[in-house]
Amino acid sequence: MAVNFWYIVMIAVLVWYSTITIYVAIRGSYDVKHMLANLKKDHADEGLPPTPGK
Amino acid sequence: MMHLSWSILALTHFSWPVDGTIIGIYLLATMVAGIMVRKYVGGVDDFLVAGREMNVYLGIASLAATEFGIVTAMYTAQNSYDKGFSGASVGICTAIGMFVVGYTGFCIKPLRDAGVITIPELFRKRFGNGVQWLAGVVIVLGGLLNMGVFLRVGGEFLAVVCGFNLNKIEMVMTGLLVGVAVYTILGGMLSVLITDFMQFVIMSAGLLVITLLILHDVGWNKMVETVHAHYGAGGFNPFIAVGMGLPYLLINLIQNTAAALTWQTQIARVLAAKDSATGRKVYTRTSFFFVCRFMIPGLWGVAALAVLKPEAFNVLPAHGMMAENSLYAMPIYLSHIVPVGLMGLLIAAMLAADMSTDSSYMLAWGSVIYNDILAPFRKTPWSEKKGLLWNRFIVAIIGVFLLIWGLWYKLEGNLWDYLQLTGIIYLASMSTLLIAACYWKRANNWGAYSAIIVGAVVPMIFLFLEKTWRVPVVDPITQVQKIVAGKPETIDYLRSRIGPTASHWTGLTTFALCWVTMIVGSLLKPGAGETETMAQATKGAI
Repeated sequence: MAVNFWYIVMIAVLVWYSTITIYVAIRGSYDVKHMLANLKKDHADEGLPPTPGK
Repeated sequence: MMHLSWSILALTHFSWPVDGTIIGIYLLATMVAGIMVRKYVGGVDDFLVAGREMNVYLGIASLAATEFGIVTAMYTAQNSYDKGFSGASVGICTAIGMFVVGYTGFCIKPLRDAGVITIPELFRKRFGNGVQWLAGVVIVLGGLLNMGVFLRVGGEFLAVVCGFNLNKIEMVMTGLLVGVAVYTILGGMLSVLITDFMQFVIMSAGLLVITLLILHDVGWNKMVETVHAHYGAGGFNPFIAVGMGLPYLLINLIQNTAAALTWQTQIARVLAAKDSATGRKVYTRTSFFFVCRFMIPGLWGVAALAVLKPEAFNVLPAHGMMAENSLYAMPIYLSHIVPVGLMGLLIAAMLAADMSTDSSYMLAWGSVIYNDILAPFRKTPWSEKKGLLWNRFIVAIIGVFLLIWGLWYKLEGNLWDYLQLTGIIYLASMSTLLIAACYWKRANNWGAYSAIIVGAVVPMIFLFLEKTWRVPVVDPITQVQKIVAGKPETIDYLRSRIGPTASHWTGLTTFALCWVTMIVGSLLKPGAGETETMAQATKGAI
């Protein structure tokens, strides 16, 4: 019984983690793109220098 | 500086031309990405909470990468090596706590809606400046003590897996920390998020590939047989396992729920989210990762138990390592089985895990020092430029502290127990304060002060006694003190009296005392009536 429980947990972990890694890799890259675009826009609206690090 | 010879050197499959190139490419890509986004940092809000522009999937990647470091892989593998599959039950406790907090929005909704940068800033709104400052001190103290062992454990993992000398690995880890510090100092939370995202992908790929390799190498049936032979039914059922049982599960459930509520590196993802709904989604959708976080290295630990013979530990030097040999079972096993090429992926994955953790932790504790410890002393607000400069300076100082503490502190007992205990220094009191601030009208600064002091003092007394009050370990048959590596073996007094659950009972006692002192202290304050809770104050906030 307990062995079966851990076997199911292991399978669930491998399936879920593989899936989420691919999904997050794709969707996360869009989030990065939008975050940087929004920050650039916010700085432009506030009149802040867009590239203070340069 | 120690000069230790490692007989494991001849056994490891690490190859500089192949694996070194993979690692070099990964490090270069991370550094470039981390440094490039510095140009988007316009002010303190961008530096500390990424301008609150983080969305769900970036949040999931960042939270998962931050909460998995080499130290995590080491203690979770050790837990399963020492306890069998029951050791992975901690991950289930953590996932439950995080899911419930994310699903209900308990505390994290009013916290995000309040628009604060740190938790002590919320306490200032409810309990005043003094509580903010003291909470900041306790958070930094607990957080830095906790993080202090990361560098050393990470270095020892690499030393065992790659077969480097310990003195060389100190230089490697110093170089790695300097690299992480550079992009964190320049880009703050923005660099942390971008590099976390890359590190999540590399780390996850490495963890999954190595796990499949191990399952192919050892096989599930052999793992089950091994755990059964070593630990019996207790290896599968944490309720009946030696040194675990209800106190162990209870403290893990309570403490990890408290961490989901108040651990600055976790809550920073809620505070950096676009809104509280996004923060809650990040929590619910990342919660199952915490099962993976314990199960995957746990499988590595069980595989090490199945394969390694006692003489495998002879490769370890007698001095200069952490207290318990079982901590090194997993890296010794990996050094044997991971082939050239995959070794590069493994090391890159583990470096990714470690770098994302280090950068987030440096920034998290730095934000508390800036916002809650130094802020009360400022007569006039700093300009954005000066604020940024201070934040960068603080992150650099934390890096220096990590180097010194990491090389100096020698761990006693189980690594996970140490991390739990140093975490409790602030988790017990801060979770009590946060819940009271959000939902209890009668809570006030008397109760808050009492809970903070008790929450810090009890675990620190335990840590102090652990180092200073030691008694001989006596052989039960001969009644003569045991000798290990030519030295008389000793154990701290509390563990000798209570057993291996001593630290779990200390943790449970600390949580209980925090609540008692919060309630009693608040009720004892003369003339204190009911005040608006943070949940009421932020109701309807965007």
